[in-house]
Formats: sequence, C-alpha cells, structure tokens
Amino acid sequence: MGTDESATTATTRRLSPDWLLRDEIGLCPCGCVGKRRRGGFVEKTLSGVSGLVRGAMFSEDVAATPGLLQRIDARVKVVTLLGLLVVAAFLHSIAALATMYVVALVVASASRLSVRFFVARVWLFVPVFTGIVVLPATLNLVTPGTIVVPLGHWFGGPVGLTAEGLESAGLIVMRVAVSISLVVLLTLTTPWTRLLHALRSLRLPATVILVLAMAYRYLFHLLAAVEDMYTARRARTVVPDRDLRNGRRFVAASAGALFGKAYGLSEEVYLAMVARGFTGDVRLLAPDRVKRRDLAWCVACGGLGLVLLWGDRVLG
Amino acid sequence: MHIPDGYLSPETCAVMYGATAPFWVVAARRVRRVVKTRYVPLLALGAAYCFLVMMFNVPVPDGTTAHAVGAVLVAVLLGPWAAVIAVSVALAIQALFFGDGGVLAFGANCFNMAVVMPFVGYALYRAIAGRAFLTSPRRALAAGVGAYVGINAAALCAAIEFGLQPDLFYKTTATGGHVPLYAPFHLSQTIPAMLGAHLLVAGVVEFVLTVGVIAYLQRANLPILRINHPGLPDAAGQRVADDGRAVERRPRLRGIFIGLAGLVALVPLGLLASGGAFGEDSPSALDLRKYGLDAVPTGLQRYGDFWSSALFPGYDFEHGSHPNLGYYASAVLGTVLIAGVVVAGFRVAAVSRRRRDRRGGRDRDRADAGAEREPVGR
Amino acid sequence: MTVSSAEPRSASLLECRDLEYAYLGRFPALDRVSLTVERGESVALLGANGCGKSTLLKLLDGLLFPAAGSYRAFGTDVTEDHLEDDQFSRAFRGRVGFIFQNSDAQVFSPTVRDEVAFGPLNMGLEHAAAVARVDDTLAMLDITGLADRAPYQLSGGEKKRVAIASVLAMNPEVLLFDEPTAALDPRTQHWMVELIAELHDVGKTIVLATHDLEAVPLVADRCVVLGEDHRVARDGPTRAVLEDVTLLQSTNLVHAHAHLHAGATAPHAHAHDSGHH
Repeated sequence: MGTDESATTATTRRLSPDWLLRDEIGLCPCGCVGKRRRGGFVEKTLSGVSGLVRGAMFSEDVAATPGLLQRIDARVKVVTLLGLLVVAAFLHSIAALATMYVVALVVASASRLSVRFFVARVWLFVPVFTGIVVLPATLNLVTPGTIVVPLGHWFGGPVGLTAEGLESAGLIVMRVAVSISLVVLLTLTTPWTRLLHALRSLRLPATVILVLAMAYRYLFHLLAAVEDMYTARRARTVVPDRDLRNGRRFVAASAGALFGKAYGLSEEVYLAMVARGFTGDVRLLAPDRVKRRDLAWCVACGGLGLVLLWGDRVLG
Repeated sequence: MHIPDGYLSPETCAVMYGATAPFWVVAARRVRRVVKTRYVPLLALGAAYCFLVMMFNVPVPDGTTAHAVGAVLVAVLLGPWAAVIAVSVALAIQALFFGDGGVLAFGANCFNMAVVMPFVGYALYRAIAGRAFLTSPRRALAAGVGAYVGINAAALCAAIEFGLQPDLFYKTTATGGHVPLYAPFHLSQTIPAMLGAHLLVAGVVEFVLTVGVIAYLQRANLPILRINHPGLPDAAGQRVADDGRAVERRPRLRGIFIGLAGLVALVPLGLLASGGAFGEDSPSALDLRKYGLDAVPTGLQRYGDFWSSALFPGYDFEHGSHPNLGYYASAVLGTVLIAGVVVAGFRVAAVSRRRRDRRGGRDRDRADAGAEREPVGR
Repeated sequence: MTVSSAEPRSASLLECRDLEYAYLGRFPALDRVSLTVERGESVALLGANGCGKSTLLKLLDGLLFPAAGSYRAFGTDVTEDHLEDDQFSRAFRGRVGFIFQNSDAQVFSPTVRDEVAFGPLNMGLEHAAAVARVDDTLAMLDITGLADRAPYQLSGGEKKRVAIASVLAMNPEVLLFDEPTAALDPRTQHWMVELIAELHDVGKTIVLATHDLEAVPLVADRCVVLGEDHRVARDGPTRAVLEDVTLLQSTNLVHAHAHLHAGATAPHAHAHDSGHH
C-alpha cells in the first residue's frame, strides 16, 4: 500500500521528494565517514541481547553432545544436583567444599564440557563480585579475632587481616564457586524443555511449568523486537547523542512499546489456546521412564553427599 | 540485587521460601480468578517482559548505564498480584538459565523483588496517585516514587537478610573466635551499604524507567493503561464508563498495612545496635567530658524532666524490665495511635468534602434541569 | 451437545445471520453479514485488509461474539453462555479448527511435540492415544524431524506446518484458515495450497480468508466478497466472482495499473499477491 515505486513513470517522479532521488554522502557537509565511537546504552543493550541468544544456542549445543550428564534423566539430575547444592550449603570446612568443587570439575569434563570454559564461567564471576565484596570482611574491623596479617596501626588500634576473617572469606568464595558450578552443570547439560518437565518431579504445578515454558519461548520473540528497535536506533545515530534525556526517553519509549507488543501477543496466544480447547486446566505430556544408569547416578550423588557431610563434621 | 547462593544460610533460605510461598499461592489464585483462562499467556508474557526490562541499560546522570528491576512498573500495569508471579518467573529464568541469582536463595530474591517491592511500590503509587485521571502527570510521578521507595524497601530486606548471617551462623575456633559461615557483614554495615547504593543509584534508575514508561504509555498507548485502571477517566473533566456512572473507588489500604506490619515486626532490630541515637540522651546520661562541659546546662536540667509521666518510660514497661517485649509493645501501640489519628483525620476530611460536594451537586442539578439529555450507551 | 445418529442433520453446517460486530464498541468490522456453509464445502472469504474477514472467522470459531445477529453451528446456537458449558465447549472446539495468520501466536508450547499434543490432551484423550496421534500427525505433515525442536529454532514455513499439525491432531470437521499463504515463500505456498485442496478432497469443510486471488480457484468452490463497507458484496461460485472485474475493483481486491508497453501506456486491471507487483 502506498506510492508506486516504478521510477519509469512520470507520475512517480512527482510523488517522491527531490532529495530522495539524489545521491547523498552522509549528512555531514564535509562528506567524512567518521570513526567508530565506544557505544553507550544502545550498544550495551544490543550486546546484551546477542549475548542472550548466543548463550541459549550454546546451551542447546552442549546439551546435545553425548557426555556423562547429558545421558542422565533430567528429573534425576534436578533432584541430585539440588540435593548436592543443599549439602554444600551445610558444609563448614573449606576442604570439604574444595573436594566438592573438584568432583564437579571431573563430572564437567566427563560431560564433554570444556574445562577451561567451566573454570572461567565460575572464577571470572567469583573474584569480581564475591571476592571484592568479601575482602573487607577479612579485616579485624569487620570480623574480630586473631590478626595474622598485620596492616599497621590505625583508628587507635591494630588493623590487619584476621584468621577468622580469612577463613570466612575462603568459605564464602568456595561456597559460591561450588554452587555456581552445580547449577551450571545442571543447566548446560539439560535442554531447557526437559528441565521444565523435570521440575514437575519437584511437585511444581503444571500451570507454573506452562507459564515458565511460555515465558521462555516468548522471551526470544520479544528479544527480536528489542533488537529491531535498538538496531534501528543505532542505524539512525549519526553522532552519539550526548543528551542523556533523549537516551532515557528512548529507553522508556522502547520499554513502553515492548509492553504493548507483549500484551497484544498475550491476547493472540490466548485466542489460540482457547481455540484448541484450553479451559484453564493445564495438561502436559509425561516424560520417559527412569533407567538404570539414572539410579546409579542417584546413588553416587547420595554417597558423595553423605561422605562430605561426615567428613565435614569430623575434620571441620 | 540478585543474591547468589552461598551468602545465605540454608536456614535463612528455607525461612524466605516459607515467607514467599503464601504470596505465590494467593497470587496464583487471585490472578486466575480475575482473568480466568487468560492468565497463562498474560503471566507468561508479563514474565518475559519483566526479564527484558531487567536487561535494559538505562542511562544515568553520571554518564554510565545501570539496570532496573521494573517490579513496580509491572505492578502498575498488571496489578500487584500478577506482578508477584511475573517477577518470580523472570527471576526463575534468570537463576536457572543465566546464573543470575542463586537457586537456594531464590526464595529470598523473590521475597525482596517479587513481593516486597511490588506491594510497597504499588501501595505508595495508589496513595499518591489517588483518583487522578489516567493521563495526569501525577500518576506517572506516583509510579516513579513508588518504584524508588519499592526498590529501597527491597534493598533494606536484602541488607537485613545479609546482616543477620554473621551473628546467627558462625563456627567457633579453638581460640574462641567466631568465623562467619555465610555473608560476613553485620547489620550495621550491610544496611548503610545497600541503602546507600540504592538510594543514590539504583532507586534513581528505577524512578527514571518507571516514570518514562508510564509517561510514554499515557501518550502513545492509553488502552494498555486501562487494563489495570478500569473506571478511571482519561483526562480531566471527562466522563467515566459507557453507562455514565462515575465509579467510586475506595483506596486500597491493604498494601500500606502490610508494609507497616512488616516495619513493626522489624522493630526489635534496633536492639542489636549498640549505643543510643545521637541527641536523645537524658541529662543524667550525658558524657560531659565529650562535650567539654563541667556541668549540665541549667536550661537542659530544668526542662529535661518536664514530661515525667510517660506510659512507657524508655520504651519499656518499667525501666529495663522486659526490653524486647516492651520495645515491641511500644512499636505496636505507637503505630495504632498514629494510625488512629490519621484515620480520624481522613474521616473529618471526607465528611467535609461530602458536605461541599452535596452543596455543589445541588447547584449543578439546577443547571442541568433545562439541558438536553446526552444519549448514553452504544 | 453430543453427536449421535439420531441428531437431525440441518441443511447447513454453519449458519450466520445478520452478524454485526464492532471492536471496542466503536470500530465497525461486520455490518449485517450473513453466510451459510454446507458440509464439505470450501468457501473463500475475499476482501481488502480491514473489511472484516478475520473477524468473521473468529466469530465462526466462537472466539468473538456478535453484537447482533445469530450463529448456528452443527444445529445449535453458538453463544458465549453455551461455550461456558464444558461439554459443549469441548465438542465444539474439537469440531472446528482455526489456523491463525500469525504462527508465532499459535506455536506457544516449549517443543513441537508438546504443541501438537496440546489439542488432543485438552480434548481429554488418554496419554498413550495422544502420543500416537501426535506421531501420526507429525508424519503426515512431514515434520517428524522437528519433534523436539523449540519454536524459536523454526523457520516461518516450519512454524506454519507445526501450527497446522497442532490443529489437525484434533481431527476437526471444519477448518478455518486466516491468510494461509501470507508471508510464506513460494514453495511453502504451493505446499499449503495443495494441502488445503487435499483436505477438501477428504471431506473437510473449509473456510479461508485471503486476498491471494491466484490461489483461490485451486482451493475454493465458492467465494464470498466483503466490501470495505463491511457488508457482503457478492456470494457466488468462484469462477463467476473472479471474472467480475468491476466488483473486484470496487472492493479494492484489484486495481487499475498502468504498464509501460513499448512506449505507450495501457491501463488494465490485475491483482496484487504476495509474490510480485
């Protein structure tokens, strides 16, 4: 609908403005091409978007390779790995936590996960967030106790790192590392859809599962819409807008428009569901049966958990 | 503000799950009852939207960008109960899929961001916006203020969750020292740290994004706002609803009560702080040397004991008898008294307003008597 | 409402009389539209964008309800109240299938298999029977390889197939298509047209809304043209309607278009379809 674009007829020439029919090298009178500037919020959001999509594809790829964990039933994985997570929360000694971490590494490599990636995924996050946050806690100003690394004499008293503080920092760093490792093991080796079905074994209601599944499914759909909006903005940006108010207005407008899209889509999906007989009760396909190797894995995890807890009590 | 696993003890995690679970159950029931079969796609898209809002980079005044949570925004658009579920689902996807936020700490994260934040923010929004028309700037600002306070309330909760860890969960070394097992900072450190960051930065981001989106929708997509605000006039002076009846809505005070009750419950935390508040000492308790004095100033002495017949001297039944219980009782009594005064004030205002309206209505009716009746309905 | 041999077979399967509908009470979509569809017929709804084709289809599927007029399907009135009854709703929804224009809204489940199973499970089919039905439908539409894929991994044409599979798995008697060939590449368009023709041969009753005039003679016995005034402009056999150029121009289905023929301009009427100008 709209103007005919055939350039051969006289009628069209009258409809298109003159400047559209001419060549124009940029809007800058000097005709310069310009250098690439460091991106602001537009670039950051776009890289966030592509990061999400890449992350999703990466997980799907990993979940498809034939490794140790990939072969185990999703429900069993959820239960055992969550169980180990709880065990890790109860461990009181750094040694026990370190043991658990090593086991996680071994399992990761047996599941064809690149060990380098696995280590980076955990330790790039941990030092940056946890380490920095926890560092001040090693001072005797925060955690009183026996000073093992004296740092001088300030505030009218000795200041230094305490044994208690260092141990506490070590505990929390190891605990965070182990927790992240366990969750990463679970989510990377299990396709998201299987993971959702497995959550039913935790007695999550089918409705919650469907809402989760649908949210994830339409996440990527809306993500594409966000990408379109931001790419269009980037394409129109000749010089990065220094006016923050305009930037904020754009973010607000795109967030507002996004809600409109999301709501409209929810209405359409609703009609599609009703048309296929949905009356409010959710019914889902049941997953496959549990195999022998799944039970073996269960036993192994249970054993590991018990050994660690006992060792923790005895040594810690 | 997503708390990772390892910072909170499993006991704390369990308690937070227990605190959040009733909200999940009630929210699911309410949403299903209100929107019936529409609830599944509505909540799913709401959650996807929440997730994406948390991903937007919002430019902040100092030139960098920051992330917002958007829980109050979703509460304003879809209602607080729907927000509980939408934010919880978004947090679940973040925790499981992107490792943002722990799995054991999921209950705590949901309590902070999916329960406290939307309810506190929404209560404040309703209180400030009142019955302003749908396109009024006051409504957008009310949403922003609600979001600002909401996220700070959530930050306070998180700070309390962190701060309680070292005092409650530690192991004792051979030398008698205490090794904190989980988050090592005490309340006196976590509260100022978290509140400081959120009052100065995160709250501002939240405010900016919420006001911006509501203002945008007021301009560009008003029907979306009508979803959660049925019966409100669009602009000043407009008629409401097809049948011409103006809808009288009673302000929803439940959210405010929940917020107040929560604050009352947190009152005993004051006991954990050592020392007294600055400027509150009685003359006899003054440390004269610190202020370079030799004696108590006469004026202070004379008026210091002016009011000696307090019901709860020192916030206690009798000085020092039952500090905890007395503290609690004082908090409850004080809240009830203040609430009573406020409610009485509102009643007086409402009565005087009704009297004014009746007088104005009588004048209007007289003017309308001769005018033509406008056709009503489709 | 159950199907039994004693049920008096009314002359028409679907009967709409003087339907009126306006969005939000203000934007008219249908103005006293009447339509009857016999069992086994294939009817094409033609009209420019915004003339009410999609609205009429949604009314036929009981997703919208008219402000005035009546709609009877399988001999019973279809109203909002009737559809509140679980038994009637289940029977009705199982007998009428709707393929939406936007496949993204129709493919909402986590995997293709879940999607195709959604309908049968909601109809109350036993788990094993539902699984068998899903496998059969996937095989019929040649998408067994996509069974465990997620929707965001599918192309537009694949999503369309999944959407159709999800509806066919319920084995409805009536199939409603909203712009089936829109936004599809030529090969998938061809496949779609062939599929609709095949379903028609098997005995399904088909109503499709489209402005793809090239495909219409291949799939429809009868055409109902809706004008921009939201009323039925013509209701007759396909050939007769498509040859009525004046009608097609007045309802904005074709327009006069001047071509360049060796220097001189020769205005003639033709239709625009999704493929070329």
